Amino acid sequence: MTRGWGGWAVVVLALGCATASAQQPLDWPRESPPPPLPARQVHFPPYEIRTLSNGLQVVVVMHHEQPAVNLRLMIGAGAASDPIGKKGVAALAGQLLDQGTATRTATEIAEAIDYVGGALGVGAGTDLSFVNVLVMRDSFDFAVDLLAEITRTPSFEPAEIERQRQQVLSSIQVSLDDPAYLAGVVFGRLVYGEHPYGMPHNGTPQSVLSISREDLQAFHMAHYAPNNALVAIVGDVVAEEAFASVERVFSDWERRPLPPSPSTELPVPRRRVVVVDKPGSVQTAIRVGHVALPRNSPDHLAFDVALKILGGEGGNRLGSVLRTERSLTYAASADVTSRRFGGDFMAKTDTRSDATAEALQLMVAEVSRLRRERVGRRELENAQAYLSGTFPLTIEAPNAIAAQVLESLLYGLDLDDLPRYPERINAVTVDDIQRVSREYLQPEQLSVVLVGEAATFIDDLAGVGFDDVEVLSVSDLERFLGPGTAQAVFDSPLSAP
Amino acid sequence: MRPITRLASGRLPWVCAVSAVAGMVVFSATVETAVRPPKFEYEIHKLDNGLTVVLSEDHSTPIVRSELVYHVGSKNERPGRTGFAHLFEHLMFKGSHNVLSDSHLTLISRVGGDGNAYTTEDATTYVETVPSQYLPLILWLEADRMATLRIDKETFESERQVVKEERRWRYEDTPFGLLSEIMYDQAYSVHPYKHTPIGSMADLEAASVDDVQEFFDTYYVPENATLVLVGDFESSEALALVKQYFDRVPKAAHPVPRDIPREPPQTGERRITLTQTENWPLPAVIVAHHITYDGHPDAYPLHIAVKVLSDGQSSRIYQRLVYDEQLAVSAFGQGTIIDDPNLFYAVSLVRPGRTPAESEQALIGQLDRLKNEFITDRELQQAKNQFARDYVFTRATVEQKASHLSHAAVIHDDITTADAEFDIFMNITKEDVQRVARTYFTEENRLVLTIQPPAPAGRSFLRPGDEE
Repeated sequence: MTRGWGGWAVVVLALGCATASAQQPLDWPRESPPPPLPARQVHFPPYEIRTLSNGLQVVVVMHHEQPAVNLRLMIGAGAASDPIGKKGVAALAGQLLDQGTATRTATEIAEAIDYVGGALGVGAGTDLSFVNVLVMRDSFDFAVDLLAEITRTPSFEPAEIERQRQQVLSSIQVSLDDPAYLAGVVFGRLVYGEHPYGMPHNGTPQSVLSISREDLQAFHMAHYAPNNALVAIVGDVVAEEAFASVERVFSDWERRPLPPSPSTELPVPRRRVVVVDKPGSVQTAIRVGHVALPRNSPDHLAFDVALKILGGEGGNRLGSVLRTERSLTYAASADVTSRRFGGDFMAKTDTRSDATAEALQLMVAEVSRLRRERVGRRELENAQAYLSGTFPLTIEAPNAIAAQVLESLLYGLDLDDLPRYPERINAVTVDDIQRVSREYLQPEQLSVVLVGEAATFIDDLAGVGFDDVEVLSVSDLERFLGPGTAQAVFDSPLSAP
Repeated sequence: MRPITRLASGRLPWVCAVSAVAGMVVFSATVETAVRPPKFEYEIHKLDNGLTVVLSEDHSTPIVRSELVYHVGSKNERPGRTGFAHLFEHLMFKGSHNVLSDSHLTLISRVGGDGNAYTTEDATTYVETVPSQYLPLILWLEADRMATLRIDKETFESERQVVKEERRWRYEDTPFGLLSEIMYDQAYSVHPYKHTPIGSMADLEAASVDDVQEFFDTYYVPENATLVLVGDFESSEALALVKQYFDRVPKAAHPVPRDIPREPPQTGERRITLTQTENWPLPAVIVAHHITYDGHPDAYPLHIAVKVLSDGQSSRIYQRLVYDEQLAVSAFGQGTIIDDPNLFYAVSLVRPGRTPAESEQALIGQLDRLKNEFITDRELQQAKNQFARDYVFTRATVEQKASHLSHAAVIHDDITTADAEFDIFMNITKEDVQRVARTYFTEENRLVLTIQPPAPAGRSFLRPGDEE
């Protein structure tokens, strides 16, 4: 696109006058930040949990300010439970929940929820599948009925399967132009190998094409059971009425034996560097990390604080180095992802193509430093101050409360820990940070993914210590995600820039 | 802790102005409306230096949200300086008389708070949410930079690089990331809505540290600012604190200029086909019409039209283009109703195996249908119920409440609209919807823009639709 004004020719004109800065009013005082007011009491809002005789767990969070109710149902199985070779079944089954039931067509469901001014969301994640229904208070009974209907009796009509299948394939196609998607799926594969956590939720074009109606019905039959489900009712309801409504629509849902859990074996971290060549890119998406720990690990909290120091709120060494000091990026961060059977840590940034090697080197150096050196007491205190101080911000919205309770139930965590979060954060010590960093960070075994125009940076990688590099083109992706590539490095690069 | 600055994109779909409509609608007692949301409780003050202050108590959680809105955005940029309002927003985190560069957010995160800022076409907003006892801290921080921002050349240069990375990341290397930029560039000739808030790389390069001083003196003055506080405080105590820190900010030396060029009316249909070589996986068809500004009586019926066309899977565009005929991977209609007249646009991302011409015909067909026949009573009621839902569900948190109040106070220049628009919306008729459709969805006011991916289109193994 050309534009009406400007042009590169004007670049240097502005640099003549160097030191202009905003004027200061003469009488502006020199002073320190003011002290706080007296602190106010923080209470974790009340909630109630009951379990129906068929095993369905029900959470109610009452909140009467706005005349609205949110109903959230979670099934304890998602993409990680996809059958071998059928990646994408959980996602497609989730997507089809509201596309027709035993009693209503997709269009009838859409018309019903839209008419009452509601909203409906369905789908699947890694460890769970979900249905969310959002309505005004006067449509609560309607919403409870709808929730049960689409959870229990999806029809998986062939025509709807084809529609949604095409949607999935199209969205994969669009995603192949998205560096964040490419980096994410390749990172998952490198880190988790052939464990189910290592594949994209939506599957690949080939796996999606292979899914049959029977696959979807079998997944639904196996996993959608009351003893594998949680329901939360959040908002302007009375608890007894909410429990009674859930009982009314779900009490005759029969408990079933559940299939065995997917494999819990995770691969051992091993250094591997993969470049996804995307000619024409102006930036490189950089992802660095390896497997870490499951959500219910007793070290999870301390490791999370360590990663905040590396790249999160209240700390963020990566941001300081890559953005503040070097202006290499708009954002740099590090995060822990922890699931039922395992998790990972990932540091990420996006930088202009010619700075790729420099940014990668700086990121890896920061991971190494966190493992090598004790963090400063002040640095830890800043991270703790953020994490414990922000607690009241995390319990404002009733949905946020429900999400915390559901997460605890899903991963079998101690519910009593929820209101104790600030104290638990403040109990983490410098020694704890060093211990978990040494135990869970292995800088020599990092998986590295670089998505960008390979020709602009590939020759720089050896100079920063990465000389064993595999290069893929986007069209190699399906093969890369297929079986047999998890541990075997490609004999020769699939394509050389 | 970094400022994760966002630019205008996720505008609340229902936000629109009503002050001009208030006397004109016939109130009906028989509206079959959804549950009525509670009204805001707030007070509004103006300090001697011109700063507008809105206070709204909410004692449900011990936190407070602050929004400081400067009524300056990308539409105030002069030619050759596109992107400057947003670049300037970044510079506001680079230090002032009592605050070191990059310390603003550190001071906030150390008390458990979150801070951020964002720039739209019309306004630049600085936000903080903190535990309520830290209200003095955020007021002190905002007043310090309002009065004494301090930028040197080195800081300016390094932040310019960060903003260029933001542009690359958010727009240039993202599928369809440049759709808005291309559309607005084609749709406008002189009004600054011709460019989006991120601006062009060339103009970002051309900006100088001298521009900073001028922009700051011109627009970052109390009379151009509105401070909204929502949360767990007593209003009298909060007002005293606001005065303590902001009364000493001097009054502006000059009135804030409002001389923004007007866009001349379009006099004939414009049809444009382009090819994007990067990050454009599917053909996109855009049918756009120039519409009115936020506050015009036509704004509400246009929002009803958006809902009928595009809210939910039963909406007309979804049913026709995505579900029934499967012409599109994704299709929607959207109205951008803001300070100055902007666009109503319908978009189709064309499904592999189908043609842009089919999508164009279908989108125009849906707009024509709004002109040729009334929407049904059920559709009208559904749109109102959906509006009520949006209204209720976007007022749950102090952040959302502050956003509503600041929008009403700054963009509508009438804070009563934060509540009053509910009744006005509920009384829109199907005749109103047809009237605005006939006013704006005309052929001479239309832009048909087709943006093609590079040829050969895509990669065959990823296009199973082609193989059927």
